[in-house]
Amino acid sequence: MRRLEAIRKLAAGWTDELVVATTGMISRELFMVRDRPENFYMCGSMGCALPLGLGLALAHPERKVVVLDGDGAALMSLGSLALARHLKLKNLEHVILDNGTYASTGDQPTCSAAVTFADLGFQVRHLRVEPGNEPDTPRLPLDPVELRARFERAVRGAALR
Amino acid sequence: MRADTTLATSVGLYAELRRQGYDFFIGVPCSGLKPFLRDLEADAPHPFIPAPREDVALALAAGAAMGGRKPVVYLQSSGLGHLVNPITSLLQPYGMNVHLLISLRTEPFEHHQMGKVAVPLLELLRYDDYTLVRDPKCDA
Repeated sequence: MRRLEAIRKLAAGWTDELVVATTGMISRELFMVRDRPENFYMCGSMGCALPLGLGLALAHPERKVVVLDGDGAALMSLGSLALARHLKLKNLEHVILDNGTYASTGDQPTCSAAVTFADLGFQVRHLRVEPGNEPDTPRLPLDPVELRARFERAVRGAALR
Repeated sequence: MRADTTLATSVGLYAELRRQGYDFFIGVPCSGLKPFLRDLEADAPHPFIPAPREDVALALAAGAAMGGRKPVVYLQSSGLGHLVNPITSLLQPYGMNVHLLISLRTEPFEHHQMGKVAVPLLELLRYDDYTLVRDPKCDA
């Protein structure tokens, strides 16, 4: 399956889930298929999407948090998977889109085949996807400070519903 | 918030941070923060979160901050390098601040270099939301 298709299928099932998308093409493709205020596009700080999601899930145990990660980013912070497994937060799902490559930078290989993510993390949804990127995926046209403000309003707003 | 006080000791520091509204604490421990860690453990405002590395602690704290909490990340100066990425590519572009509580170590030899460059590094990063703690007993 193409990564874009996998993201499209996941996103079609979301209602008020808070979604933290990792840096690179995963954020850009999510923006392309379904932009929503509950999406936080974490451009930069590769590897930090899972701990960011853990912090959100701890602060808001009543909300479901989805971390949309890549294999390269997950490998970069395996300690975060161990912490997720330690915390066992029921309200966080860790989706890893695994194409075995750093696809955003040109399909250089990762070492993802050497590990079993589900054994390291907690509530890991490990999805194998094809390497490669969609052509002409736009860069995010959002100002990062405004994006965060929009996301925080979505966090607070739903808490009031 | 700017807090660049160098304290002779961290006794009373936890209570002071609580008075300032901080309600979420995560980090990597340092023996130079013993009084702070002892007070945190005794008060236990939330279950202890064993961060495996400083960058994980800072990203988790950023997520908690976006969820409305007011976090502190504590660390030893030796781990400051791990924060360069999340400070420059997460906190700063997205306009966030997380208070850092840094135990500034200068001894023994493995702390000599970072002991000298920790504050210049924070200045270079233009990051001024931190408290430095220096415990002479640790550096003795």
